Amino acid sequence: MQTTDFEQVNETVYHEALQNGLQVYLVPKQGFSKTYAVFTTRYGSIDSHFRTRSGEEINVPDGIAHFLEHKMFEKKERDVMHEFSKNGASCNAFTSFNRTAYLFSCTDKLDDNLNLLLDYVQDPYFTDASVEKEKGIIGQEITMYEDNPDWKVYMNLLKAMYQKYPINIEIAGTIETISHITKENLYQCYETFYHPANMLLLVVGSFEPEAIMKLIRENQGAKEFPPAPQITRVFPEEPSEPAEAKVEAFLTVGLPKCMIGIKEKENGLTKEALLKRELTTKLVLDIAFGTSSAVYERLYDSELITESFDFDYSSEQDYAYTIIGGDTPDPERLVETIKAEIEQLKQTGIAQEDFERAKRKKIGNFLRSLNSVEFIANQFTSFKFNGNDLFSVVPTLESITREDVEKRLKEHFLAEQMAVSIVRSSSPQE
Amino acid sequence: MTATTNEIAFQSSQINGMNVHILPTKKFKTTTIVTMIEQALSEEHVTKTALLAMVMKRASARFPETKLLRAHLDFLYGAIFDVDVMKKGERQILQIYMEVPNEKYLSNEASLLEQAIEFVGDMLVRPYVQNNAFSEKYMAQEKETLRKRIESLIDDKMKYANQRVTEEMCKGEPFSLLVQGRVADLPKITGQELYQYFKEITTTNPIHMFVVGDVEQQEVSEAIRKHIPLERSQVGEPQIESTAKDVSAESEVIDRLDVNQAKLNIGCRTQITYKDEDYPTLLLYNGILGGFPHSKLFVNVREKESLAYYAVSRLESHKGILMIMSGIDVSKYQRAVEIIKQQLDLMRQGTISEEEMSQTRATLSNQFRELLDSARGMIEFTYNGVISGRPRKIEELLAGINQATIEDIKKVANKMTIDTIYLLRDKKGEA
Repeated sequence: MQTTDFEQVNETVYHEALQNGLQVYLVPKQGFSKTYAVFTTRYGSIDSHFRTRSGEEINVPDGIAHFLEHKMFEKKERDVMHEFSKNGASCNAFTSFNRTAYLFSCTDKLDDNLNLLLDYVQDPYFTDASVEKEKGIIGQEITMYEDNPDWKVYMNLLKAMYQKYPINIEIAGTIETISHITKENLYQCYETFYHPANMLLLVVGSFEPEAIMKLIRENQGAKEFPPAPQITRVFPEEPSEPAEAKVEAFLTVGLPKCMIGIKEKENGLTKEALLKRELTTKLVLDIAFGTSSAVYERLYDSELITESFDFDYSSEQDYAYTIIGGDTPDPERLVETIKAEIEQLKQTGIAQEDFERAKRKKIGNFLRSLNSVEFIANQFTSFKFNGNDLFSVVPTLESITREDVEKRLKEHFLAEQMAVSIVRSSSPQE
Repeated sequence: MTATTNEIAFQSSQINGMNVHILPTKKFKTTTIVTMIEQALSEEHVTKTALLAMVMKRASARFPETKLLRAHLDFLYGAIFDVDVMKKGERQILQIYMEVPNEKYLSNEASLLEQAIEFVGDMLVRPYVQNNAFSEKYMAQEKETLRKRIESLIDDKMKYANQRVTEEMCKGEPFSLLVQGRVADLPKITGQELYQYFKEITTTNPIHMFVVGDVEQQEVSEAIRKHIPLERSQVGEPQIESTAKDVSAESEVIDRLDVNQAKLNIGCRTQITYKDEDYPTLLLYNGILGGFPHSKLFVNVREKESLAYYAVSRLESHKGILMIMSGIDVSKYQRAVEIIKQQLDLMRQGTISEEEMSQTRATLSNQFRELLDSARGMIEFTYNGVISGRPRKIEELLAGINQATIEDIKKVANKMTIDTIYLLRDKKGEA
C-alpha cells in the first residue's frame, strides 16, 4: 500500500492496485462519523458502440448503462437496498456520460457494507421478467426528466453543441430505446465494462486504512475473474463546430431559461495539462461573470439575469465545454450581451487585481468542499480517471498566472464555437 | 467497527442580547457562522421578511455597493455568504449564513474569523440606509428578483405540487403561505417601512447565532461583543398559532398544467410535532411508511407495481404534517391512491415486520449520526430543539426510536388522517 501526503490540505491518500487490476484508494478523515464508499466503472451513457469480449462490434440501445445500473440492485432472492438498510447504510448509484458509480454511506458496520458493495456489483443477475418490470420504473424516471426545464435546456444545449459525439443523447435513453433492452444486452455490457481492471474503489471517512485494505484484498482475492478484456470503444469523429447555433423547446416555466454553450475546439489533453486547462478556464469564467464582476452587475441591474445565473466548465479528454446562463426575461438580448461582453474583455484584458481575487476565491472554495466526504467521494474518481489528484488542485491553482488566463480567454471563448439553448412557455398566457 | 458516539455540544451564552452557541471542533477546514432570526409566519410579515433577506445582502454601510461587498467576500478566500428565509411550522426564519476558510490552511493569513464576524455585524447592525430607508435602487431590484423567484416555483413541478397541496390543505392557516411571500404585497412595501421592520426584528425578535469550527469560545465571544453591538430590548417570543386541526373528511384537488408526468401528493395530519413525546415514534412511523428504499411505499408502489420512479413520505415536524409524494402516469391515479391507502391501513393495523422495524431503526440512526459531519446539519438539529422548546440530544432521540414498539406505532397511525389528496395532471383527457 502506497501513501501520499498532501500537506497543504492535511490529507493522506492510500493506494493499492490489486492483482485483478482494481485500483483502490482510501482517504481517512479523522474525527468524522461517517464513511462513504464509491465503486465506479469507466462505463457511461456514451459507451454504446464497442467490441465485445469475443471481438464482435456491436451497438446497444441508448440508455443501457443507466438501465444496467438499476438492475444491479436486484438479485435472485434478495434486494440489495434492503440489505444496506439492515446495516443502517444508505445506498445509491448514478450513471453519467462516462461512468457508473455505486455508493453507500454509513456510520456503523463498515466491514459488512463494504463487502456487500463489492459483492453485489460483482454479481449480475438479470431475468426477462425483471428487465420488463424495470421498464415501467425507468419510463417514469424519463417522463419526470421531460418535465424538468433545467434538464431540458441543458440536454438541448449538448444536442446543439455536439453533432455526433454521444453526449448528445439522454443518459437514461428514451421510452422507445429502452423498450429494446434485453437481459442478453445487459450481460454483454456487464462483461465488457465491469471487469475490476476497468474499475476504481474509493473509501473516504472514518476507518483504519490497513484494516480496510486487508478486507478489500481478501474480498477480491476470493473471487475469480477472467483476464481483463481489451476494451475498444468506437466513437464517431466529431467535427469541431457546433451542430446548431440555437435550439428552442417549450415547457411551462416562470421565466424563459437560456444557456450559452462554448464547445472546446481541440481535445486530447491528459493529466496535468487537462487539469490546468480546466482550472484556468474556471478562473476566466469567474473573472468574467462571477458575482463580483462588472459584467454580472450590469446584467443584474438591467434585469437580464436573476440569481439563477451560473456558469461551469466540464472537462474530459474527448470533450469539454463551457455553459453560461440561467433564467432571463429576454434570452436573445442576454446572448447578444454576453457575446459582446466577452469581446470587450478580450480587448481590455484581465486586471491583475481581478485575477488575484478569483484565485483566492477558488482556493477558499476548494478548502470548503474538502469538509464534505460526499464531495471528495464524488470528485476524487473523476480526477483519477483523468490521471489527476483531487488534492493537487491548490498547488495547480497557485501555479496559474494572469498570462495563462488571458491566453485561455482568447483561445476558448470563440463566437464560432457557441450554441444557444432556450426553454420557454408554450404560449404567453401561460 | 462500532459507531463512535458523539453528541452535538454547543457552548451557549448571552451576548449583546443574542443567544450565542459555539461549537469548537477540528473536523472542518472552515468556520461556519449562522444567525437565525425568528418571526411568526403571517400574512402581515411574510413578504416583508422575504424581501428584507434579499435587500440586506445587497449592501452594508461599509460596502454600499454590491460589487464591493462581493469583492470583499472573494478577498476573504471566497467566503460563502447568503441571507435567506425558511419555513419551520408556523414560523418564518430569516437566516444569515457565513462560512470562511480557517486561516490555518492558508499561509500568512490574519484571522479570517474576526473579519467574518465583523461582516455579520455589518448585516445586523450597520446596514446601508439613506434617509432612514433602504435604498430605492436595491428595493426596486430585489422586489423584481423576489417576484421572479416566486413565479419560478412552477419550474419545479415537485415543489409546485407540494406548495399547492399545502395551500389547499392549510387554507386559513399561516402554514399555507409560501415562505418567499406574495407577489401582490410587493408594490406597497417602501424602503422606509422595510428599514423600520429591520430595526424591529433585530431588536425584539429572538436571535440565535451558531459558530462551528476550529475556534476558541473566548475569542469568538469577544469578537461578537465587539463587532455586533446590537442593542436589544424587550425580546419577546413571536405568537405562534396552535397547529392541531381535526379533519372531518378528506378532500380531493386536481390541477392541470402542461406536464408529462402526474404528481400525486397526499397530505396527512399527524397531530404530533417535534416537541411531543411520541415524536420519535412518528419518525419511526414515517421511516417504515416511506422514508427509505426499504419502506412500504417504495416497495409497493415502485418495486411491486412499477407505477412510479419515486414514492416517498416526508415529515414537516414543526407543523405535524406528513406528505406522501409520487410521480405517476395519470392513468394509474386511482390505483396509486388505492395502494397508498392500503399501506396506511397496514400501519394502522400494525402489520409491520421485525425486519422493517430493525431496518428503519438502523437507517434513522445512521441519518442522525451523519449530521455530526456537517456544521450545517448540527446547527439545524440544535435549532429545531430551540424553537420547539424541546431540545433533544441525538442519543435521546435514537433511544426513543429504539424503544418504540409496534403498539406505539399503531397509536401514532391511528392519529393520522388523510386531509387532502392532490393531483397535478396534464391538460388532456376529461376535465
